[in-house]
Amino acid sequence: MSHSGTGPDSVVSFENVSKHYGSLKAVDGLSVSLRPGETVALLGPNGAGKSTSLDMLLALRKPTSGRIRMFGSDPYHAVKSGRVGAMLQSGGLMPEVTVRELVTLVAGFHPRPIPPETTMKRAGIADIAEQRVDRLSGGQTQRVRFALAISGDCELIVLDEPTTAMDVETRQLFWANMKAEVAEGKTLLFATHYLEEADQAADRILVINRGRLLADGTPAEIKERAGAKRMSFRLNRVDEPFLLSLPGLVNLEIRNDLVHIQTTDSDDTLYALLGAGYRPRELEVGSLGLEQAFIAITAEDDRANTGTPASPVEERI
Amino acid sequence: MRGTLSLAMAEVNRLRRNKRYLIFTVALPVMLYLIFGKEVATVYGVSFKVFYMVGMASFGAFAGAFNNNLIRISQERKDGWIRQLRLTPLPANAYVVAKIVGSMATTIPSIVIVLLLGRFYGGVTLPIWKWITIAVAIWLGTLIFAALAVALGYMLRPDSVQPIAMLVYFFFTIFGGLWFPLSGGLRKFGEITPTYRVIAISTSVVATGKVSMVNVAVVLIWLVGFVVFAVLAVRATAEAV
Repeated sequence: MSHSGTGPDSVVSFENVSKHYGSLKAVDGLSVSLRPGETVALLGPNGAGKSTSLDMLLALRKPTSGRIRMFGSDPYHAVKSGRVGAMLQSGGLMPEVTVRELVTLVAGFHPRPIPPETTMKRAGIADIAEQRVDRLSGGQTQRVRFALAISGDCELIVLDEPTTAMDVETRQLFWANMKAEVAEGKTLLFATHYLEEADQAADRILVINRGRLLADGTPAEIKERAGAKRMSFRLNRVDEPFLLSLPGLVNLEIRNDLVHIQTTDSDDTLYALLGAGYRPRELEVGSLGLEQAFIAITAEDDRANTGTPASPVEERI
Repeated sequence: MRGTLSLAMAEVNRLRRNKRYLIFTVALPVMLYLIFGKEVATVYGVSFKVFYMVGMASFGAFAGAFNNNLIRISQERKDGWIRQLRLTPLPANAYVVAKIVGSMATTIPSIVIVLLLGRFYGGVTLPIWKWITIAVAIWLGTLIFAALAVALGYMLRPDSVQPIAMLVYFFFTIFGGLWFPLSGGLRKFGEITPTYRVIAISTSVVATGKVSMVNVAVVLIWLVGFVVFAVLAVRATAEAV
């Protein structure tokens, strides 16, 4: 299920990339490569290193070590060649001009500009074309940023939390537009902490936590990786060390006599439990959603590291 | 280059629509000249109307290049517009170049208007080359302040930029003798400022018909110093923009 390794035709490749701020490892040995035409979600909690990774990809920050390539060249030259369109959370807009003026201006920076009217229609901002940029709502501003990202004819689109500040309806409209955009064979990389979004929009998900890549696969594979099943039951006498040794166990949670388990194989886990003489009551077995899978993967990682939950480190320092 | 120029054009268009900018760079110096321009006195070997014309033209131009740029750069850095530009195919230095080119272009009208006022309201008559020398000296001074605005704009956050902008600006205008002529110890001190030297280039060209190389040298030293300062400030914050 691993897709790492650098092909000659990869759009983006991270080769053992790290970014340290003093003792903080914002990104820690990240290796991954994207193939043309993929829609890839970069999924992780706040402070996981998503924004730092995208910043380095877009030549805004330099890796402490490792190498990033985009279209076979360094990120700066790839960005300046106009082959990538990007939208960051922190990207601002020039005030005191109208939406149309701004989109026209930025399109003019591109070697292969797209007519501003087309871009504004695609981004759903044709109706606010004459409004001043500094008088827009949060959602409108976000759509203008998106318009700037697609104002040139590019091969890779990079979006950092693109639907923040959008209501549900606008979010759906956004993804409908986005799908039309990438249907032409463009590669899309987007960071998100909405699991639903990653599940629905991406054909590949990269789960990162604490700056490291924890999982890389299709949404289905990620769910499987996390332990596809959850079980819950009650026990008269809870023996934690024994429960932790159950086969297939990925995550264990005990509340008094109530036990929650995530497991890769619910049959094996159950038989081992029965084989040891336990008689669980109120037994329930079900499937995990991507959300639970994600929590399982990151929680497993946090436990393995410090025994405490992930500290929400500021993403931008 | 084409992209950078269109960004500079956009900057000019923004300024043209900005009433505050027009008030400080054009309306205020014009008004002050209308009030005080006809005082009769001799200053630095020239008549007051010449001195005050040069002072007011410099005041408007420097305010445009410095205060306005400084506050905008600081704000646009915080808002992430500079980051946004770095994601486009524009060269990395385009933002700074466009700011400087834009403010150099927009200060031309404010210089020209006050000089025209000196000619037709104050009654200053000079050979054409002296007019040109005065205009160019003030314009060069504008460049100094545009560079300083870039340096400080990259270093200061918007919430602290206003008072510092005022402080720096008052220092250079008062000790440069833009508002009133300097004498005695104040003048000795003022001689180190580029603002004093810009006025001195203009008044000495009117009084003696010569461009003093010392004055030009001091202006150029400040210019180089602030350009280096600006380059260092931009580089130091490259990762944080």
